[in-house]
Amino acid sequence: MAPDELFALDQVTVRRGRAVLLDEVTCRLSAGVCTALMGPSGAGKSTLLRLLNRLEEPTAGQVRLHGRPLADGDVLALRRRVGLVGQQPVLLTDHVPDELRVGRPDLAEGQARTLLEQVGLPAAMLTRQTAGLSGGEAQRLCLARALAVGPEVLLLDEPTSALDAASAKAVEQTVRRLVAAGLTVILASHNIAQARRIADEVLVLRAGRPVAHGAAADIDYLKEES
Amino acid sequence: MNPAVPTWAGVAASAALVLLAVAVAWHGRLRLARDIAIAATRAGVQLAAVGAVLLLVFQHTGLVGASGWLALMVLVAGQVAARRARGLPRALPIATAAIAAGAAATLGALLALGVIAAQARVVIPVGGMVVSGAMQATALVLIRLRDEARTARPAIEARLSLGLPATDAFAPYLRTTLRTALIPAVDSTKTVGLISLPGAMTGLILAGVDPFTAIRYQIVVMYMLLAAAALASLTAGRLAEHALFDDAHRLRPLTTEPRRERV
Repeated sequence: MAPDELFALDQVTVRRGRAVLLDEVTCRLSAGVCTALMGPSGAGKSTLLRLLNRLEEPTAGQVRLHGRPLADGDVLALRRRVGLVGQQPVLLTDHVPDELRVGRPDLAEGQARTLLEQVGLPAAMLTRQTAGLSGGEAQRLCLARALAVGPEVLLLDEPTSALDAASAKAVEQTVRRLVAAGLTVILASHNIAQARRIADEVLVLRAGRPVAHGAAADIDYLKEES
Repeated sequence: MNPAVPTWAGVAASAALVLLAVAVAWHGRLRLARDIAIAATRAGVQLAAVGAVLLLVFQHTGLVGASGWLALMVLVAGQVAARRARGLPRALPIATAAIAAGAAATLGALLALGVIAAQARVVIPVGGMVVSGAMQATALVLIRLRDEARTARPAIEARLSLGLPATDAFAPYLRTTLRTALIPAVDSTKTVGLISLPGAMTGLILAGVDPFTAIRYQIVVMYMLLAAAALASLTAGRLAEHALFDDAHRLRPLTTEPRRERV
């Protein structure tokens, strides 16, 4: 196992009915960086992300985290280590502090403020209701809610695709700050410009198979539309 | 002629009312005349058959026959409720078990406490009311939970992704569903006697029992329907939750789209 290896996928296949969503995927994902999973719709990006926190199970093959098969460990503990934020900001409660406490009911107010600062939201937002938040604010609150649990990895599934340009930029800046602070981020995106801006590594998928993988600067896929 | 119980000639005369309904449908071009005629004929034939079988059960088979009759009612009610919840995994066993649990516990308590007599002529009609109430509540729970599992999937998975167990992630939806499913039973309990004179009481009054005696039966019926709906809903909710999630706290994919339910 390479020292910076976080996830290892070996011959991982995911089938749903007759559809093959991932087809014998073997790859390694590094710790401490932002990896972008790229590719067109239906390439298997979301499925791969969902495998990493066991919202999806491989039909064949194995996924390991730090060398240990995911299926061997406690799934609830895994999901606290590997957080996931989806495409649409889904808020679960009526008030901002309650939102931050969904996964961590004992969160103190000081910690809640720190979390909001981490995602670039003002601490004054703690008095707000979730209903009035903009899309960008809601998505960053979802990030903060995921961070509240203390994950070592954050999985982001097209986190800016439902946002306007300014909100998307704010989310991207947040992601870069989190990676700089030591968090591993794995991001599914079909946005090449975004991957160029924030990814250190890129894994390109097409029809459920990896077709390119490496440092962002070396991946031709990112140069295609430049 | 005893006006409390119509003769067969009286029943035949009441068929004139069906003709009236057919005439209204035909005149209004509602395209319902045929359906009304078929429904009315079916009702007559079904009830005549049921009456004949009940007569046999009451006279010859006693409580054993009554238990068999109730079991059959539970199976049919399970089918009806499960059909409403098409797309939910294991809908048929869940619906049947929930209705059976609600009916058995309620009826068992009434018999054990000596509230109703352990006679076929009592157990069957009372059991029928219990099964019917349990069926309605079960169907409401299963339909709603199936729909929640579809529409609230992103929110449920957001909770699961925070490390919440399936039971906690689903709790808000289960709670709202159970509340919704119990509203009809609670409301009819609240308004009984004010909005309508319910069936059991009406039947007893028509059969010549004085109203103050008839209400005793009706009070028992209302309490029993509340309990049956509550128990069946809770059982259906818990079993459906188990069916919707797997051992790894994952919401199962619901593959088949629900078909439009026939009324």
